[in-house]
Amino acid sequence: MSSDQDHLKETDTEARFEFKKEENSAFETEKGLTEETVRVISEDKDEPEWMLQRRLRALEQFQQMPMPEGWPGAPDLSEVDIEDIVPYIRPDIETRGGAESWEDLPEEIQDTFDKLGIPEAEKNALSGVGAQYESEIVYQNMQERWEEKGVIFCDMDKAVQEHEDLVKEHFMTKCVPPSDNKFAALHGAVWSGGSFVYIPEDTTVEMPVQAYFRMNSEGMGQFEHTLIIAEENSEVHYIEGCSAPKYSAFNLHSGGVEVFVGENAHVQYSTVQNWSKNTYNLNTKRAICEAEGTMEWVSGSMGSKATMLYPSTVLKGPGATDNHITIAMAGEGQDIDTGAKVYHNAPDTKSTIESKSIAKDGGRTNYRGLVHIADGAENSSTSVECDALMFDNDSTSDTMPYMEIQESKVDVAHEATVGKIGDEDVFYLQSRGLDDDDAKQMIVAGFIEPITEELPIEYAVELNRLIELEMEGSLG
Amino acid sequence: MSTQVHATLSEDQVEQISEDLDEPEWLLETRKEALAALSDLEMPDVIQTPGRKWTNLDALDYETLVDPLDYAQDKDRIDAEGVDVLSWSDALAEHGDLIEEHFGSVVDPQRDYLTALSTALFSAGTVVYVPEGVDAEDVKIRTTMNSQSLFNYTLVVAEESASVTILERQTTGDDVEGSRYYSGVVEAVAGENAYVQYGTLQNLSEESYNYQVKRGHADTYGTIDWIEGNIGSRLTKSNVETRLLGDSSESQIVGAFFGHDDQHFDIAARVWHEAEHTVADLVTRGVLDDEARSVYEGVQDVGKEAWDTSSYQRENTLMLSDESEADASPKLIINNHDTEASHSATVGQVDAEDMFYMTSRGVNPERAKNMLVEGFFVPVLEEVAVDELRDDLETLIYERLRE
Repeated sequence: MSSDQDHLKETDTEARFEFKKEENSAFETEKGLTEETVRVISEDKDEPEWMLQRRLRALEQFQQMPMPEGWPGAPDLSEVDIEDIVPYIRPDIETRGGAESWEDLPEEIQDTFDKLGIPEAEKNALSGVGAQYESEIVYQNMQERWEEKGVIFCDMDKAVQEHEDLVKEHFMTKCVPPSDNKFAALHGAVWSGGSFVYIPEDTTVEMPVQAYFRMNSEGMGQFEHTLIIAEENSEVHYIEGCSAPKYSAFNLHSGGVEVFVGENAHVQYSTVQNWSKNTYNLNTKRAICEAEGTMEWVSGSMGSKATMLYPSTVLKGPGATDNHITIAMAGEGQDIDTGAKVYHNAPDTKSTIESKSIAKDGGRTNYRGLVHIADGAENSSTSVECDALMFDNDSTSDTMPYMEIQESKVDVAHEATVGKIGDEDVFYLQSRGLDDDDAKQMIVAGFIEPITEELPIEYAVELNRLIELEMEGSLG
Repeated sequence: MSTQVHATLSEDQVEQISEDLDEPEWLLETRKEALAALSDLEMPDVIQTPGRKWTNLDALDYETLVDPLDYAQDKDRIDAEGVDVLSWSDALAEHGDLIEEHFGSVVDPQRDYLTALSTALFSAGTVVYVPEGVDAEDVKIRTTMNSQSLFNYTLVVAEESASVTILERQTTGDDVEGSRYYSGVVEAVAGENAYVQYGTLQNLSEESYNYQVKRGHADTYGTIDWIEGNIGSRLTKSNVETRLLGDSSESQIVGAFFGHDDQHFDIAARVWHEAEHTVADLVTRGVLDDEARSVYEGVQDVGKEAWDTSSYQRENTLMLSDESEADASPKLIINNHDTEASHSATVGQVDAEDMFYMTSRGVNPERAKNMLVEGFFVPVLEEVAVDELRDDLETLIYERLRE
């Protein structure tokens, strides 16, 4: 462990996470997002007419909707140049499906895999062609087992072709309509890639479904769409991303995630976002939960320049449950504005939101959350807990919860604390022989422990490593 | 969005009010500037969430509510030894310079549309001047509104090491056809080591629309405590705020409300920590019955220079009826890491186990519920240091429960 630590300290973390955009002048599109561009995307993908129509309708909404500005404390999005998005979309299409795309990644990323200590097989799977082969085998094996049970796990573009009815019914219709917000509309117009997961009735997928393996062979989209449909009594854990830095040639990421949790089904969606720090990460993620269903969101936001992400759950059926666990860490120049939204629309629904945030080196974290309990949602309960840790005086830590309670037979509790890293705690650990850095790292690890507990062990380890990496630069 | 200026509101009227009060030129100018600014000013901020606006002030029809030249009211002022508790005309005559120095220094006259309207049209109000070292308790102001609209302006200046407790009661008197509009601005200046406690008990008639801004500046070792009791009115939009400008200054904001029928309370408590070793404690408890609705916003803003800050906030709402709605947003904005801050908010109903316990002891359910509601307010009432205000509040809660 100790030699490992020394090794980690040798390289400059910040530098490793900053990547130069590769010049790519092969594609030139006219300025602005036009109908023509959207038609080209759709045509490239050979999409059915209804999908083209949905894209065009979303485009229309995108053009009409205002930027998400004017909220109290909203991150500065003035650098996000909508006009600039277009030239980026086309290369995205071209690289889609290109198995070599990972080879094009800067060496630093592969280097980071080493530093993160990602398990050997996984590392290979991510960084080389030979390994790609290995990952295909793993993927294939999993696929065969699932297929027997009727589980579908494929890329979203393929799903549009092969599972048209399911997609047509669920894609950006009742869960995340493009009209939800400007970036959801943009997503609806230009989405590309992503995952489609279908779990039939009474089926439990024991092993977490990992978008990691598949996405690397498909090429990561900037506007990827994930659609998860879990039928009655089914169970699935979907893991997206993980903790390796996602190289982004573009400065805007706007993903969409839609989850349908059937009666008594259980879906867990885990993701650790670590976009390179030139990225604006503006996502829309939502789940609709039927009676007795359970939705669990586990999200870590580590990367990006600015993140606006509020995974939301609509508890539609009686007895539905939602659990949110979020962790945000903002360093220099980062504005991580994240939280959760829960709508209690039925009786006996429950939600818990647990948020931990760490601000350091002038970074800003904000918990922004909404809990809405509709009239008639009797015996619902919600508890929200936000804890924030601040490292220094250049940082900012905000908490902005909103509660709308229209039903009296409820139990609503919200609690938040903000504090600095305790001098006494650090002193205690130092008196036990730890140096200042190790003491602080240990305190942070303890602070986020409740979150890492929820992740599968290998991801928890990666998350801890990532946090160590993020912290070492500032604590020397 | 900018709001329509009252079609019949004119500079002449403002001049008329100013003349009636025998005001100096600077005050008339301030009024005129506020009037002129109306067309550019927005309504006070209200909380918005996707698809919802927590209080819709735009729906208010000020055209029909405001009659600038009718400001009938009854005012009782009980002063204490060593303190000047004066009407505006008396105060301007006696302490002209003092007023010029402080007027508008705490509450920006053009903060928003409703505040500017209040500045332009205020005709009633009180100036409380507590000279250096004077320790005064029990200053009482009772305002009975006898007109369709009333614009009340209170200025409190407590000099170094002065101490004062002010209790203000707001009620409505004569019957007025239709709706009324009450607008109150309170500015409090607490000098070095001064202590200002300002308690308000608002019990306006339930046809009244009520807008209030209470804001204080606390200097070094200064303390400003607010007590905000809301029982009456149909719609209340109230802002209670303290800026902790001096090192080791403190503020406590205690709130209690009890809404019934279709009452709507939009209550905000905000504190800015802008110096070292400052302490703030925000405590609000409210009960909602029938179709009443409450909107609560609490802000604890810790500035970059606010080292060694302690800041706490609690808000609890009890819902007695299924038709009621309780919205809350306690916010923390922390820019200094040497801070201990927390907030909590809860919404719930009368505890079923408590009810069971009481009824098992032979207390009938109605009485048990009333006792539990009264008990719910106790933690807030305990924070009310003014006996008279606490008794009044208790009585009003008692009466409302037995209506």
